[in-house]
This record gives sequence, C-alpha cells and structure tokens, in this order.
Amino acid sequence: MSESPETAPEFERFLYPFLGEEESVPLERALAEVRESTRMKCRETVGLRRELLALYTDDLITAARSVADAFTEGRRLFAFGNGGSATDAADIVADLLHPPRFRPERAGGEGPRRALPALDLSHDVATVTAIANDVGFENVFVRQLIAFGRVGDVALGISTSGNSPNIVAAFRTAKRVGMITLALAGYDGGRCAELAREGTVDHLFVVPSSHIPRIQEAQATIYHTLWDLVHRILESSEEKR
Amino acid sequence: MRSAKGHGFEELNGTMVDLRSVVEGRFAASMTAPERFFEVSADRLAEACLAMARQFHRGGRLFAFGNGSSATDAQHVAVEFVHPVITGKRALPALALSGEGADPNDAFIRQLETLAGPEDIAMGFSADGGCANVRETLEFARKSGMLTIVFAGREEGDCTFGAEFAFVVPCNDPLVLQEVHEMAYHVLWELVHVFFEHRGLLETNAPPQASASAETGRDGRGAGED
Repeated sequence: MSESPETAPEFERFLYPFLGEEESVPLERALAEVRESTRMKCRETVGLRRELLALYTDDLITAARSVADAFTEGRRLFAFGNGGSATDAADIVADLLHPPRFRPERAGGEGPRRALPALDLSHDVATVTAIANDVGFENVFVRQLIAFGRVGDVALGISTSGNSPNIVAAFRTAKRVGMITLALAGYDGGRCAELAREGTVDHLFVVPSSHIPRIQEAQATIYHTLWDLVHRILESSEEKR
Repeated sequence: MRSAKGHGFEELNGTMVDLRSVVEGRFAASMTAPERFFEVSADRLAEACLAMARQFHRGGRLFAFGNGSSATDAQHVAVEFVHPVITGKRALPALALSGEGADPNDAFIRQLETLAGPEDIAMGFSADGGCANVRETLEFARKSGMLTIVFAGREEGDCTFGAEFAFVVPCNDPLVLQEVHEMAYHVLWELVHVFFEHRGLLETNAPPQASASAETGRDGRGAGED
C-alpha cells in the first residue's frame, strides 16, 4: 500500500526544514532530527509544568479542599471531555475508583488510598450515542448531569481549547444544579475563562499553550496533583475524628 | 510564601502536612522523570517512529491495549492516530482493544488473533507491573511477526515484556510514570508523520540502524510486501 505524501504545513517546514523535499534524505539525518525533536517536546512540557506550579499552587490546594469536602459529605465526582480529554476524564475516574498502588508504600506508614465515588460521563456508549442522536452532541454531558447530578457534587470538565460546546453547556447545567465546577483548559482558557469570570466555573486551571499534546500532558499533572491533595486532606480529616 | 494553618497545612497524625510541599513534590517529579527518560530514550523513540511509519506504510494498523487506567492510555493513543488534532496530519488506522470478553484474561490476545497480521503494530501499556495479559499479548504479537512496543515501569526483573521497543520508565510513582508514557506516545504519534515525507526511508528493508539491528530481531520482515 502506498499513499502520496501530504504537503507539510508551514509550521512543520519551520520545525523540520527538510520536510516536503522530494530528494531522498539520509536515514541517519532523519533519525537525528526526530531524536532532537523528541527532546524539544519534552522541554516544552517540562517548562509548562514549571509555569503551572508557579501559577496554581494555592488554587490547587483550594480546589482540592472543596473536592475533599464534597467527598466527605458523601457527594460524587463526574468527569467529562472529548477525544483525548475524554480518556483523561476516564483516567481520573479510574484513579479515584481504583486507586493505584505506590511501591514501595509512601513514607510515613500511610496505607493505600481509599476508593472515591466518581463517574466518567463518556463511558456509557448507549447513553452517549442516544443523547447525541436525539438531542445533539452538545447535550451528551448535560443530560447525564441532569440525571445524576445533586447539589454539592463535583463536575470536572476537560477541554484543551476551553471552547467545546458540550463542556460549556455541561458547566452551565452543573452550576444550575448546584454542583462544584472545575475546568481544565488550554490556550487562554477560551469560553471556560468567561465561565470562571461569571462564576459558573469555580476552579479554572489553564495551561498556557497552543500545542494540544503539550496541554494534555501538563493537564495530567494538574489532575494527578489534585488527586493526591484530595487524599491527603481526607486522610488528615479522618485522623482528627 | 508559606502561610499559616488553613492555607496550605493539614493536620495528620498530630503533625502538619504541608500541602504546598505535596504540590511542589509532585510537580518536581513530573519534571525530572521525563527529562531523564527522554535523555536516555530519544534514540529508541526515533527508531520506533520509523518502524511504526514503515508498518503503516505497508498497510498495517496500530492495536493498543492496557488495563485499568492504562486502558485510557490505549484509547488516547488510538484517537491521536485516527483523528489527528493537528491539521494536515493524515488519519492512520489505530484501535484500542477492549478489555472485555468471555474471559477478560485473554481478551486482548483473542482480538489480535482475529484482527491482526504481521504488518500491524501491537502497543501494550503496563504501568503497574504485573499485567500478565499484556505480557502474553505482546509475546503472541511478536511471534506473529508484528511490531511490538510496550510502555512499562516499576517492574522488578524483566520489564521489557519481550517487546522490540520497550519504553520502561524507572519511577515508583504510578501517576508520574503514566505522565511520562503519555509524553512518549504523543511524541511517537507526532513524529511518525515526519517519515511519511520520506518515502525512500519507508520502503527500504534495512533495519532502523545497522548498529542496533542485533536487538531488533526483525530481519527480513517486510521483504517484498510493499
């Protein structure tokens, strides 16, 4: 099977100057270029994580406190996103429901983390396709939040652009229901930034980048940190009782 | 700025847990682990990109699989290839295997037996060690002549799962480990496309690097199939 090479977009020509050249490129040269590119991408993500740490340390603690409080009150967390962000939403739900084991166990004699009630709103393909087919894709999460959501539950929406219509609509519904709302976004936060300004989104974390894979990689550190903080806070409040 | 109780400290076992240092520690690990990994693995990542591009070029597909939270990585890498977020990149065939079946222990193998051939790519994820089904599926894939790639970590003993390309992250924190995996498979996806611009490289039967061919064990694969 052979297919014709596609025209390289301008930015790719910039990053990979020999792209689009028709003459053959020595294997070693192509590999060297790719090798250097992998390291460049790593540096970009590490730089974003460094920025996020400076921007959001306090906000992460504040958000984790309100999520921990919700779990203490017997509330649940609902996570949602599209595409790769749907898998990130599924990932945090998996981490909450089936806490990963640390080997060796963390210092201080702390045991394994407890399972916490969370639902991944992309999981049920019958529900997702039924809603999308009947009332449109914009409502796939809205409809489920209406069905499942209660006052004090947590809605965690992930969107690299911050603009996904079904995520924006879900936050509006979640707030109407009386839920705590957390948004992870990229670029400049997009419409999620507007939602935060108007009070629809309570906790907003923006990865200041326009490269989607890098945004997702940095977002993973944010939600993993939230996960860790929530457990630390729950453990400390259990100790007090 | 360290603040007082209620602004970053929680009481645990009578001692104050500094939540700010929890955040700092987690971010520090999320920065140093990938730096170390990419420094060591850049060569093999580049070679894996080329090997994957050659498989796609000869009509192969990517099959990704993992358990639990690794299953979400399998789905993530699949959607990247099928529906690229970067305009202008072509769609490439990739599927996340379902972990469900009559016997969940052999669900991945059964699907590969039915769906896959030697032109395909088997990509396994095993973030939390064990994962006998991932190991067995990769062994089956390798015997069937597929290109095999594994993202693993934390295992004692052999963590390469017998795969041709084993990206093992030496890290005890399953969350950080997974973040490094995500960075690595994003990079594979982004850079596989570079080789589509060089068809001469895709059609050669030479191993990625003559000096590294001893460990690839793929001599002759792909001959006359293009």
